[in-house]
Amino acid sequence: MSTTAPQALRRARLRFGGVLRSEWIKLRTLRSTVWAYLVTVVIGLGIALLLAVSLQQSVSPSGRGGPPRLPSDLQTHYGALAATSGVSFAQLAIAVLGVLVISGEYSTGMIRSSFAAVPRRLPVLWAKAIVFGVATFVVGLLIMFASYAIAGPVLSAEGISTSLADDGLVRALFGGAGYLALVGLMSLGIGTILRSAAGGIAVSISILLVLPIIGQLIPADWAHDAARYLPSNAGQGLYSIAIQGDDVLEPWQALLVLAAWAAVALAAGAVLITRRDA
Amino acid sequence: MIEARSLTKHYGSKVAVDGVDFVVQPGKVTGFLGPNGAGKSTTMRMIVGLDRPTRGTVTVDGRPYREHRAPLREVGVLLDAKAVHTGRTARNHLMALAATHGIPARRVDEVIEITGLQAVARKRVGGFSLGMGQRLGLAAALLGDPGTLVLDEPVNGLDPEGVRWVRLLVRHLASEGRTVLLSSHLMSEMAHTADHIIVIGRGRIIADAPVDDIVARATGTTVRVRSPQADALARALETLGAAVAAREPGLLEVNGLDAPRIGEAAASAGIVLHELTPVRASLEEAYLSLTEGEVEYVTTGADAALAHGEVAR
Repeated sequence: MSTTAPQALRRARLRFGGVLRSEWIKLRTLRSTVWAYLVTVVIGLGIALLLAVSLQQSVSPSGRGGPPRLPSDLQTHYGALAATSGVSFAQLAIAVLGVLVISGEYSTGMIRSSFAAVPRRLPVLWAKAIVFGVATFVVGLLIMFASYAIAGPVLSAEGISTSLADDGLVRALFGGAGYLALVGLMSLGIGTILRSAAGGIAVSISILLVLPIIGQLIPADWAHDAARYLPSNAGQGLYSIAIQGDDVLEPWQALLVLAAWAAVALAAGAVLITRRDA
Repeated sequence: MIEARSLTKHYGSKVAVDGVDFVVQPGKVTGFLGPNGAGKSTTMRMIVGLDRPTRGTVTVDGRPYREHRAPLREVGVLLDAKAVHTGRTARNHLMALAATHGIPARRVDEVIEITGLQAVARKRVGGFSLGMGQRLGLAAALLGDPGTLVLDEPVNGLDPEGVRWVRLLVRHLASEGRTVLLSSHLMSEMAHTADHIIVIGRGRIIADAPVDDIVARATGTTVRVRSPQADALARALETLGAAVAAREPGLLEVNGLDAPRIGEAAASAGIVLHELTPVRASLEEAYLSLTEGEVEYVTTGADAALAHGEVAR
């Protein structure tokens, strides 16, 4: 077929930058993506507002202008708690989306078009991971800072005042966004391994919600220790500001643990994606 | 040019493609013909690296597909019409594929126009008919203006106008010097479209030849002879090694001798002929006789008996 753009076509090459752009187009041109992110934002902000209101009643029962103010580190703790409270719900929408980003290609047959265009295949997975990871991190940051903006005034009306300059607060907000991105990447890896939406979502949600409960139910020290390294428990270390008695990982440890979950799932997916027939 | 050497694919214990060798030449439309389950689609998937061969190799212009720097410029592939995310619009689907190679949006709009998808380009693919899906698949195949086209059942689901359009399109592409491999189980379609045919059955190549040769080779030459002295002629021809069948009084069908030699034999025996006609089988009949016994899923009962009766005749 003759073409009006022969020069541009002759220059056409498969490049990683192009695969990145392709994955960005794929992500933003599906309604399911847009809806999942919208749901994430609405849930995140809604929960933050709810928690701020309930903290207001439980932490300072004495009410307006009440007596002793909480110690400042405790105020920061509650500020971060309210701002990041949406994370544990938002993570479910993100986990589902992470699975769908790849399983949707398998269920519709799109994966064959993708792999015919990029026959080495791995660039598709890495580009998906980068695009989806960055998009989720940005949406996560938006939720975290907006939640802080909503929850802050509600709390400060009751004498729990915080500022972004407080020790650890900005880290907790970035941590919440990073947690969502890493949970999303883990789910992307699981979706790549299982290639099915139902299976991928079931496994991801089990890891995030069911395993921590089982960890609590087993009355043994090893179970308790192991449970600290589950994604949702490790996440607490990343986006909360620990106070005395909290049994959570240090933020940098939590970051490493979560990155390891995402990396292992993606690496297993990468091995399978190159070996299997599409 | 596509070259397959000892190309083999096993799925578990099932052998889908069994050590096939073939070359698909540029400048021609090569038909890839075979019954369902014969290994056509598997072979095509291996050409573009979607399935990994158990043994053997297949190259496009001398290299495995995955080693090309611009795969979409090299091979345009239509494997099945629905290799598309149903939630995306046709244009966005093409834009996403084009982006991988830095193919400009102008080209996307161009292939939309070539395939006649303008009216539905901004509609979600989920609502597409099979025919529109085929057109979108062809648009994707043409995106990189590739030197080789691999099209699995491209006319499936198209209306007669669409079938004619695909036929003209692939003939045009081949006339520009491109390599075109086209699969079908529709023999009549192949007769109109292909220059060369590769027949596959149960994972093996049964025939690989120009269309005319396929027809000739599969049926041999049958010659219809009418004579008032049919019995005497039959005896004379049989002594020359021909197989003779008497269809009705005065009418013979002769295999194993061509028309000139039958005429000479009749003349030397002093036998009068009323008709001497070489009978060309249709490609359909040629194909059925080639793939007899190679069909994986055999129909039983009346339909099969009817079909076979027709071939045997």
